[in-house]
Amino acid sequence: MSRGVARRSLRAALAVVAFLFIFAPVSSLVIWSFTRRWFWPHPFPQEWGLFYWKQVLQGDLFRALHSGFLIAVVVTVLTLVLTVPLAYLLARYPIPAKPLILMVFLLPHAFPQLPVFVNSTTLLYRVNLGGKFWGVVLIHMVGALVYAVWTMTAVFKSIPESLEEAAWNLGASHLKSFFSVALPLATPGLIASTLLVFLYSLDEFTGTLLVGSPFVLTLPVYMYRTSVGYELQVASIAALILMLPGILLLVLLERFLKAEYLSMFGRL
Amino acid sequence: MRRSARLASLAIAAPPLAIVVWLFFLPFLSSAHLSFQREGEWSLRNYYLVWRLYKLDVLYTLGISLVSLMLVVGIAILLCGYLRIVGYRPVEFLFKIPLFVPFVVVGHGMRVLLAPRGTLNSALAQAGLIDLNDPPSIAFTWAGIVVSLVWKNLALAVLLVLGAYRAVDETYLEAARNVGASAFRQIRDILLPMAAPSLVVASAFMFTSMLASFSIPLMIGSGEAPQMLMVDVFYRINYQNDLGTANALGIVSYLLAMGVAGYYLRTITVKS
Repeated sequence: MSRGVARRSLRAALAVVAFLFIFAPVSSLVIWSFTRRWFWPHPFPQEWGLFYWKQVLQGDLFRALHSGFLIAVVVTVLTLVLTVPLAYLLARYPIPAKPLILMVFLLPHAFPQLPVFVNSTTLLYRVNLGGKFWGVVLIHMVGALVYAVWTMTAVFKSIPESLEEAAWNLGASHLKSFFSVALPLATPGLIASTLLVFLYSLDEFTGTLLVGSPFVLTLPVYMYRTSVGYELQVASIAALILMLPGILLLVLLERFLKAEYLSMFGRL
Repeated sequence: MRRSARLASLAIAAPPLAIVVWLFFLPFLSSAHLSFQREGEWSLRNYYLVWRLYKLDVLYTLGISLVSLMLVVGIAILLCGYLRIVGYRPVEFLFKIPLFVPFVVVGHGMRVLLAPRGTLNSALAQAGLIDLNDPPSIAFTWAGIVVSLVWKNLALAVLLVLGAYRAVDETYLEAARNVGASAFRQIRDILLPMAAPSLVVASAFMFTSMLASFSIPLMIGSGEAPQMLMVDVFYRINYQNDLGTANALGIVSYLLAMGVAGYYLRTITVKS
């Protein structure tokens, strides 16, 4: 009997500690975003309200959200177009220099990004893309391509080749078997990979800060600036908006996303 | 392969390769080149400056990463053991949330929570645990960086370690239970040894990512020396416009990352 009590209290303690640990930073954001005025050392804000939400959605935050979203869409579409055929090729055909190609797409994961991107920024300024929309798109694509090539190659590898061989035997061309056999079967994996790329671009901070400043503003950079400038309400609202797509994804897709994809999302 | 097929595959592979080579490999190589350049001439002065100004920062970065990693791995081993043996879905779900919270948001959330006038101190003062006239601060210290890195990485560790624990066959655990092994013994003697290879891989990855963390220490670090290496690189560029020293610091960070990768490869090859 007492063992049962001990067991149940351990369980309850675990739930409480885990809940507090995970939600402490998140709830602070929520409190600050609805704060109108909060004079120290009062335990709670003196005035609550939607004041800053209203103010923020008409100002710079909306512009940052808009341009960040646009960049993420462009990055996702371009990455998808470039990566799907390459991933299929890498998964199926003995193309020349395959290990070298795979290595090119692996190494960016192994090294710190910031010192590399410092020099990438110089290169982009040299071709007049620094501080421009397309410069930011390109720097996002470096990371996006790396994620996409690895996840999508794995997706195509998981589809049995025999299915396509059957199509070839029945007289279908390679192009036809790709579009009517491989691509439909790969769609769920490709969707997960696309969401990963979209979220990567939406959340990207380092490259945008270096390449985009001061002209291209996305939500993470905007949030960083307001937070460091102690506009805590504004920064907290930006942070909550930034969290929204990821949390939606988690709630809607938790059961469908395999652990390997979830772990990829954890690296963003 | 036929010639036309070769050409087609070249056309498919070239554009994405070109982007990664142009904006990652060339800049990576130019780090090495620029780190030996000072006022247009070859020189070792950048490395001398790194040694003189930043040797503490290197140790600080390694120390913070190591402490965070120990905490993450230690908690994950026990927590996942509980989740594997007893099972608790809601808690498992809770630990997936940080996976989807971007690093910058973690940085700001922790700043608001842990600052001297943050929500944590406010709550503790309500409970009468601290004096608000002299509030302690966790943010803007090394502990703030550690807490934030642990918060973000614990989710990844739980995901990977739990996956490895789940791959351990239930019959081993049943056999241990039959001879009276406690939950702790089941973790220590069965789950942990069998999950060790995955744990090494996850640790190596997390350690490199902690070494290279930028937005979290930028937002929650002290702003005074010593700093995390990535913040040093950024300040060197932004405030001193000193590309040479920044790149020498970059090279040091690559070497640290390679050291971790080397250790990880050796462990893997020794195991197999």
